[in-house]
Amino acid sequence: MSSALTGSTALRVLGATSTTDLGDGRLRLEEEVVALFDQFRDPLLRYLSSFGHALPDAEEVIQEVFLALFQHLDRGKSRDNLRGWLFRVAHNLALKRRYRTLRDLEARAEASADGAIDPSPSPEDQLVNSQTQKRLLAVVQALPQQDRRCLSLRAEGLCYREIAEILDMSLGAVSLSLARSLARIARSAER
Amino acid sequence: MKLMNYEDSHFSDQQLLRDLEGELSTHDEKLFRAHLDLCWKCRARRQELENAIADFVRVYEREFHTKLPPVDDPRALLRTQLAQLSTTAANRSSSWFAFPRRFGWALAVATCGLMALGFFLAGVRRQSQSRSHVLVSVPDSRLTPGAALLASRQAVCAEPNTRNKVVPVALQRKVFEEYGIAGAEPRAYEVDYLVTPALGGADDIHNLWPHSYSATVWNAQVKDALEDRLREMVCGGNLDLTEAQREIAENWIAAYKKYFHTDRPLPE
Repeated sequence: MSSALTGSTALRVLGATSTTDLGDGRLRLEEEVVALFDQFRDPLLRYLSSFGHALPDAEEVIQEVFLALFQHLDRGKSRDNLRGWLFRVAHNLALKRRYRTLRDLEARAEASADGAIDPSPSPEDQLVNSQTQKRLLAVVQALPQQDRRCLSLRAEGLCYREIAEILDMSLGAVSLSLARSLARIARSAER
Repeated sequence: MKLMNYEDSHFSDQQLLRDLEGELSTHDEKLFRAHLDLCWKCRARRQELENAIADFVRVYEREFHTKLPPVDDPRALLRTQLAQLSTTAANRSSSWFAFPRRFGWALAVATCGLMALGFFLAGVRRQSQSRSHVLVSVPDSRLTPGAALLASRQAVCAEPNTRNKVVPVALQRKVFEEYGIAGAEPRAYEVDYLVTPALGGADDIHNLWPHSYSATVWNAQVKDALEDRLREMVCGGNLDLTEAQREIAENWIAAYKKYFHTDRPLPE
């Protein structure tokens, strides 16, 4: 544009909201949510990816989780056991995407059948590919999905009560699920 | 928990695991210990379960700990979206006299947030690319609300040159600083006008934002197409200039979808 137009200093700012409009409370809350994100993003990402969500999908779910957390706290709702809250919301949001995830898994299975997976594994992958690791991984992957979820949540440090709340199971069912899964893993290690 | 005779039976895996996990009541734990002191079989099984936990943890760590992408980009995206949410919340709780315009803004911001999730997907899927810069695909509405000159439709449409002016380097740096990416590689971004000067947009920091070149779907070329379309409509008398400025400032992607009647960018 020529200087005749752009040289003008008279302008209006569209839809602006200044920082002071937001208030210190919301800014502090933003920082708190980001701090919680730094603390729990990796465990949540591992949990979601451990039962089949592709990383981009899992990242997307986690963004939604922390936006929901912001709104939850902004409305003055309970701050009790935020770790459990985060896993529960992540779990529920992830379930809503199950159909999409299943499609991803099918696509990956097809890619695997086509030999499209990276043919040159990294040194870490080569280590994982040891016979024992492969066998254990196969056993874990063959577990029912709910059992895998219990194991993953327990591996992320959640107690039985928290797992029961997240997965909407009884305490006894959590305990039974974990025992059943570990028994299978133990059997595979005997071979 | 039932007390078991050594000769009769042993503890189940579930009971052994609950002991390992510290999930037994104090009372049950005493009974458990009494049995375990006598029973090698239960102790051996308990050890097998403990080994299975160790095996699972090893598999879990190797499978899922080493493959996580860095947290920088997701954190930056979250910050942007939180800022937008804060703006929405602030607008909701402010004066009702400004309701129609502010409500529209809030809706647009919410839509923008959803769009940003889509952009993020594209970013994550290109993990092999450089991660030395933060992915900024939508402007932060607090930093870049858009700004327009007080110019009439006739004045805007009389301008023959619709190409954006290059933003001075000093101003580009200021934009990077505002967005918390002061050390950013300039080649990774186009410092873009939110409201294009071709629609009366101002050379003002409120109207500039670092559009990441990593944005592959809703990129600068797509925005250019929208700007051309809106200018045609404005200058053809089919759209109010102020309305065009407002729509592109609120959510340019939503505006594109509206005026191109599509959910995704059309091929050039």
